[in-house]
Amino acid sequence: MKKQVAVLGSVAILAGGILAGCGESGTKTGDASTASPGTSPAVTGAKGEKVKLTMYSWRPEDKEGYEKIIAEFKKENPDIDVEFKPFKSTEYNTILGNTLQSGTGVDIFQLRPYDGAKAIADAGYLLPVDGVKGIENIPAAYQDAARGTDNKVYGIPFMLNNAVVFYNKKLFQDNNIQVPETWEEFVKVCETLKSKNIIPVAQSGKAAYLLSMTHAVLGPSAYGGNEFVSSVLKGATNFKDAKFVDSIKRMKQMETFFPKDFVALEDKDAQALFYTGKAAMYINGSHRLETFEANKLAFEVDYFPGLSAQKGQPAQIATWVDGSYGVAKSTKHKDQAMKFIEFIASNKFGQAFSDQLTRVSPIKGVAPKNELLKRMAEQSEKSSTPYLMLTNFSQGTPTTKTTFEDSLQGMYIGKLTPEKVAEDTQASADKWFKPAK
Amino acid sequence: MRAINDLNEAPVVRAAVKKKPLSRHLVHLFLLPALIFYVGFMIYPILQALLNSFFSWKGLTRGEFIGLNNFVRLFTESPFKETFTRALGHNVIYFVGTMLAKMIVAFILALFINSKIKGKEFFKTVFFLPKLLSVIVVGFLFSLILNPTYGALNTFLGKIGLESLARPWLGSPDTALYTIVLINSWYGFGFAMLIFLVGLQAISPEIYEAARIDGASGLRMVFKITIPLAMSSIMIMTILTFIGAFEAFELIFAMQGSSGGPYYSTDVLALYFYRLAFGSVSGGDSIGLGSALAVILLILIAGATFVSMYFFRGKEVDS
Repeated sequence: MKKQVAVLGSVAILAGGILAGCGESGTKTGDASTASPGTSPAVTGAKGEKVKLTMYSWRPEDKEGYEKIIAEFKKENPDIDVEFKPFKSTEYNTILGNTLQSGTGVDIFQLRPYDGAKAIADAGYLLPVDGVKGIENIPAAYQDAARGTDNKVYGIPFMLNNAVVFYNKKLFQDNNIQVPETWEEFVKVCETLKSKNIIPVAQSGKAAYLLSMTHAVLGPSAYGGNEFVSSVLKGATNFKDAKFVDSIKRMKQMETFFPKDFVALEDKDAQALFYTGKAAMYINGSHRLETFEANKLAFEVDYFPGLSAQKGQPAQIATWVDGSYGVAKSTKHKDQAMKFIEFIASNKFGQAFSDQLTRVSPIKGVAPKNELLKRMAEQSEKSSTPYLMLTNFSQGTPTTKTTFEDSLQGMYIGKLTPEKVAEDTQASADKWFKPAK
Repeated sequence: MRAINDLNEAPVVRAAVKKKPLSRHLVHLFLLPALIFYVGFMIYPILQALLNSFFSWKGLTRGEFIGLNNFVRLFTESPFKETFTRALGHNVIYFVGTMLAKMIVAFILALFINSKIKGKEFFKTVFFLPKLLSVIVVGFLFSLILNPTYGALNTFLGKIGLESLARPWLGSPDTALYTIVLINSWYGFGFAMLIFLVGLQAISPEIYEAARIDGASGLRMVFKITIPLAMSSIMIMTILTFIGAFEAFELIFAMQGSSGGPYYSTDVLALYFYRLAFGSVSGGDSIGLGSALAVILLILIAGATFVSMYFFRGKEVDS
């Protein structure tokens, strides 16, 4: 009998997670929507009573910066304490999902952009923020990253991201290397570096999302950037398009320029190769500039925004809203949470965020102090392209983005051909994607 | 013999029941707290998962009743069927690998400690030590040891001139799963050894003596006497290892992430379940599919455990 109990018990623990919240989530959301934020004793009606808001993020690296920003907010709102609670990026969705299902524990949280935010908004876990003061200073195109199917905005976009190729300026100068403009030039630069025993690109592949980010930087010049994006979204072409397959073939070609056994490397290992000058380039988002500063690199870092299809043309820089802040419908401190959200939509937050965390804010009038960021912001305005997999293909079970990046990993370990990667990606999209008419 | 006992005891019990009927029922109340926890945290979740598996889901919202559709999709639709088959295969490898490593090494260790050798208490402690670490810590430590650029193992192999053997242990589909099986076995040796030791210590020395007088020695004693008489501890270990292998999650998650990389080469059913049910909040139908998989896991583990218990029961020998 004991053994039977052990068996049942062990499986029940697995199944238990599901039950914890989803069982009645259909009705739970309804309850939350009718719950008045003034009924709980903790709610604070009385002035002077301290309230603590819990804020979820997928950026543990930002903790220190946020503490300073929150201190600014507290100067004007001494009664509202905000606890910044970050989780590992790769586990954030799961933790957030569980918290939302349980209905308590979080007041304000980061929303994954586009499809991620839409799903949470549509499930009824968010309060709309359309009317929040200051939202008019955020361009409508960026607000799309936090829009629900009902067209209401459910989050304040607070960070833009650009994926670029960072390079060690000293290594480039010492080896007489010019910044490449086209794919052909890029390959030549990689060959030169390799011949000098320098790893051309510090790529890691253990977390597969880093592969699709690299594709977002190197791929557009092969598949034709925005032209292909609009064709795919209209349904005029799909991922089996020869141009897109070509972009995957380029990823395969890069294999020799990545570190040995890069599929077993984590991002921090790749960063270490770049920081120690063993690798000359490192492809990632502009959020890494903050990490570079924190690590006090011994050399100057510069960047180039991907590649042009033809020499002389400007390259399209991969740009997207990387996150928004939403208010949980289940919050017991709605007024205070809204006050904090209003702060997030303010120019003051935007500037502090950009200065403290070295990031680009989508709020009009905020200019980054960091020279590289300033250049990225300017380039984004002139010629940008979306991180297509993230902005438009983050749906499905598993998501098309996940399928694509996992398939890229499969390609590097010799299980899939570039054509098969494209086929699997399209097969995943076919299940849910409906082209815009 | 049993019948005689029953005859002797029955009247006494009956008398006790007649005398104290209330206290007899009061005893049952003491089970209540445990029962509440058991029902609340085990039975209810299982029933809830079962219920969820019959519905369609959109993100975190439950939709309409769809019968067995989620189960059918898991077994017939790409990529679910491929992922399921692959993960199940890995669970089987995980079980067989861990079982072989544990059975052989832990049994030999137990034999060694059960002998009259000096310092056996010290070795018992040493072999059991890994079990005191958290699985996550073990995963982290081995990730460092096996790191392809600065890991201790590859560096060591290089230093002793065996550089050709150095490889990305966790980054190659050929070695990743087996590496994790070995780490898991290393982690579990101590516990298995203790279970076997209990079994060995229960064997009366007289039996060995008698066998020795009859001319048996060495391996013959191990195969003809020790193993058959320690069968109950072997059975316990087999079942525990089976359950452990089909629930395998933490170690792989800590070392290879939730997708069981590279490219699902270390993916197992529990990881697949985790990804399916909680891996995304993108508005998909993952919770229904995840619940269906949880139910399948329950049937698989419970079913196989009952079958193996039935199988082993016939093999037990009383000492």
